[in-house]
Amino acid sequence: MTGSVTDTGDRRRTSDAPLLITELIDEETVQSIAQEAWSALIGDDEFLVPLPGGLPDDAVSSWVEIVGAWSGSVVLTCGRSTAEQLARCLLAEHAPPVLDAEDVQDALGELANVVGGNVKAVLPGHSVLGLPEVGSAPEPGPDALRVDLLWRGQSLTITAQGSAGAPTARTNNQYENEVPL
Amino acid sequence: MKILVADDSRVMRQIVIRTLRQAGYDDHDIVEAEDGADALAKVSSEKPDLVLSDWNMPNMSGMECLQAMRASGSAVPFGFVTSEGSPEMREKAASAGALFLIAKPFTEDTFKEHLDGVIA
Repeated sequence: MTGSVTDTGDRRRTSDAPLLITELIDEETVQSIAQEAWSALIGDDEFLVPLPGGLPDDAVSSWVEIVGAWSGSVVLTCGRSTAEQLARCLLAEHAPPVLDAEDVQDALGELANVVGGNVKAVLPGHSVLGLPEVGSAPEPGPDALRVDLLWRGQSLTITAQGSAGAPTARTNNQYENEVPL
Repeated sequence: MKILVADDSRVMRQIVIRTLRQAGYDDHDIVEAEDGADALAKVSSEKPDLVLSDWNMPNMSGMECLQAMRASGSAVPFGFVTSEGSPEMREKAASAGALFLIAKPFTEDTFKEHLDGVIA
């Protein structure tokens, strides 16, 4: 029939299907964002090597939520010892001999904030960035982009994970009660 | 010159203050604020010559602080230091009267680039 339009399904896909993070950003971009944050905040000679390691049992996470065309969280996860070393690097000469748990959480949250803010900047459309949280992040669902990195030989991961269908994160207070930093 | 540094992260406030020193602005008085509401109160009580503020903060955001300052007639120079450096956020900042937006992560060179014309 002249003038008929074949329904390819494209319209449904663009209007109904949620955007997947892997369609919006790749591992190299996330790694590049993280490396820039590490170089500026941790030190010029601090490198993130894209190699998988194994996260220790006492791994902690910090994350920021992004709400927009794609909604989810950017989660930074590392071992407790790694988190403390990162906090010492950020505090530099202001780092006390014994770190407060609050400072470690603050430092880890701020790193997630910087990485998440820059991830948000490359996503399409208008998005809103939440405040950083620290604790036990939700397990990623199928909409996830995970980057495994080594810093000073220690494992850390950065995961951009969609919120649709994701389990609820344990809150900071719950985490503190369970495994204080 | 007195500079008010507002960020809900104590660690980030220390980094901003350290970077100011590294950029050569080491002979100025620094006042810290832990959120936008604290910053707004200290703009009145401390009378800073410049405000460097995070954007996303609890209680009152940096943008709300800037808007409240301008609404009250305060013309104190204001710049954002934030993880949100997209063109959209830069446009919003400029429209609200911010002099500049420094995106995190930053270096001392970034600070010099934005502050050389502002800090005497």
